[in-house]
Amino acid sequence: MLGSSALSAAAVLRGRRRRRFLERSTPYWLIVPTVVAIGVVLGYPLYWLIKLSTERYGLFELIQHHGQSVGLHNYASVLHDSVFWHTLLRTVIFTVANVGLTMGLGLAIALLLLRLSAWVRVLLTSGLVLVWSMPVVVAAQVFFWMTNYENGVLNYVLSQAGLTGEQHDWYASTFSQLSMVTLLIVWGALPFVVITLYAGLAQVPHDLLEAASVDGARAWRAFRDITLPILRPILLILTSLSIIWDFGVFTQPFLLIGQAKTQPGNFLMSTYLFEEGYFRTDFGRGAAISILMLLIVAILSVFYVRKMVRIGEEVA
Amino acid sequence: MKRRSIVALSVVAVLAAAVMTATSVASTKKATASSITVWLQVDAQSGWPDLVAAANNQFKSDHPGVSVNVQYQNWGDHLQKFDATLAGGGGPDVIEMGNTEMTKYMAAGAFADLSAAKGSFDNSANWLAGLAKSGVYNGKTYGVPYYAGSRVVTYRTDLFSKAGIKKLPNSTAAFAADAKRLYAKNTQKGFSAFYVAGEDWYSAMGFVFDYGGGIAQRVSGKWKGLLSSKKSIAGLTAYKNFFYATSRAGKTATEGAPNPNPYDVYAQGLVGSMIGPSWFSCCVGAKFKGSTAQFVMPGHVKGTSMPGFLGGSDLAVPVTSSNKSLATDWIKDFTSTAGEKGLQAKGNIPNATNLLGNSVNERAASRSWFVPTAKHWVDVENGNILRNMLGQILTGKLTVKQAASSASDNIASVLNQS
Repeated sequence: MLGSSALSAAAVLRGRRRRRFLERSTPYWLIVPTVVAIGVVLGYPLYWLIKLSTERYGLFELIQHHGQSVGLHNYASVLHDSVFWHTLLRTVIFTVANVGLTMGLGLAIALLLLRLSAWVRVLLTSGLVLVWSMPVVVAAQVFFWMTNYENGVLNYVLSQAGLTGEQHDWYASTFSQLSMVTLLIVWGALPFVVITLYAGLAQVPHDLLEAASVDGARAWRAFRDITLPILRPILLILTSLSIIWDFGVFTQPFLLIGQAKTQPGNFLMSTYLFEEGYFRTDFGRGAAISILMLLIVAILSVFYVRKMVRIGEEVA
Repeated sequence: MKRRSIVALSVVAVLAAAVMTATSVASTKKATASSITVWLQVDAQSGWPDLVAAANNQFKSDHPGVSVNVQYQNWGDHLQKFDATLAGGGGPDVIEMGNTEMTKYMAAGAFADLSAAKGSFDNSANWLAGLAKSGVYNGKTYGVPYYAGSRVVTYRTDLFSKAGIKKLPNSTAAFAADAKRLYAKNTQKGFSAFYVAGEDWYSAMGFVFDYGGGIAQRVSGKWKGLLSSKKSIAGLTAYKNFFYATSRAGKTATEGAPNPNPYDVYAQGLVGSMIGPSWFSCCVGAKFKGSTAQFVMPGHVKGTSMPGFLGGSDLAVPVTSSNKSLATDWIKDFTSTAGEKGLQAKGNIPNATNLLGNSVNERAASRSWFVPTAKHWVDVENGNILRNMLGQILTGKLTVKQAASSASDNIASVLNQS
């Protein structure tokens, strides 16, 4: 009797433990499909990319379907290439300019949306959504036509208005080329940032702002001490996403500048990677460049990710 | 709990389905012997689709039951597409290659050796030497000459006579003087007496060769850049002056994509004359068809012609093809005497000397230049080294000497890669 009750008590305990184990492990089981999917979709190609980056893999090897292992030679050759360092610096400056403009203008337009009458707000939002829905390739082509030297509508309008005597070449220098690319990227990136920030602004409690203004706080002060802290997590997420996107952006620069005009003097990391990997059919070196790019983006965004995690912990 | 597991299960199902569709898409169909795939450039699609159809019919009557799948490609990205098929399969059985693109691929072993079949191609004993050379590597024939083209001046006869130009220019100096006359009569904005895009390196190198310069030369096993030589610099300077005097195209514009094609600007009535392949006459616009003619670009010495780039295409059979003999037969049909005469009628230079005539195109080819036949030449082209140099010269960012010597060093280092 006693023995059986002890036995049943032990069974109950075991059952409870098992249940607790199951309960505790449930999250892990739930996450397994995601981890497997990521492993298949990302891990496998990443493994091949790393393998490729340690091989000599040119046209000859491509036909043989077999690379020759060269250890870290590809990395060494990239890191000793002055084009790589110039491109990296150019890309960092380009990224800072693009992210800065996107976030600054995005925040300004989102704040503007708050002050607008309902129908203007609807109009502006629809315009933004239309921009958002435009495929990048189409946008680049239209933008290219508009700014074309010979037949572009921009030069036409400027010369009709008497603002430029001669046709202006919008792609004459690297600075000018990358400025046009920046214009296109920022134009395309604004809708997402504006709409997300506008949604974030809706969370700022009205009574807080009202109380502040009753207390005599000016608009700037209220913005700095109330609005901005509430928006901070969203701003951080958007900034880190923008950094990742803009650092590796390829479609806009490649299409707008054009293959015929792409050269080491106007490379961004992505076009450098494409030219070295695909146009020179040096896939091993291309793979090494992309691994380095991955590391750089990881370093660039680690700061933001850390902050984001900290904010997450504070909220929790 | 139950709802959660249902959600989790459906997520797994969706992901599994996604993975499965992805793999099913990736497995490509294997080519069967009942069809061959041919990659030709769009030039054939717009210029001579009837010749392609004729070759296909001939091929089909020789090989009943085998169909030909012709896929048209663009110059800008056909090599990247071809590389992808070399790695992953599903590539063409016949591919058209630009003559400057051949060496790199022959050196890497991308094409089947056609030396044994060479004798069975029409006129193969008389193939154009320059073009045939681009399809030979280490003494073996990998490319069959398809057609060549030189670059000529296409011009508006009505504008020339209105400007009082009675005789076609016989030197670049005379041409520049005529340009002045054309500008006096045509004052509209954007008009070019002689339209040449600033970074049109084919035209600019013509000046370099006209002055006795060159691009690169192999000296005891190593490539040496020649653009920084005195003669090349004289040629580049002449090009710069000629451009300033005659053209209002963009200084950093290219001779085609992303820039508009010269004949499109011509069709708008904004061009007195332009340089380019002789088939440019195809697309000058209905309005100007009757008042358009061509002449050979003059050189700087009176009475000579400017050396023109001898462009051309070869046809090759990729090693990945599983129908190599069928592919070779199709090339035979396409480059037959009848086919080549058809190409000639469209304004191209046929692939053999015994077929040559006396068109402006063929006369222009009498003095021609070609790029260095180096394995890595195509990297110089794709790296836009020459275009970039011309942009620097014309915008005045660098002097001719500075730009030329930096490009020269660059070219040497690319060509000397292992």
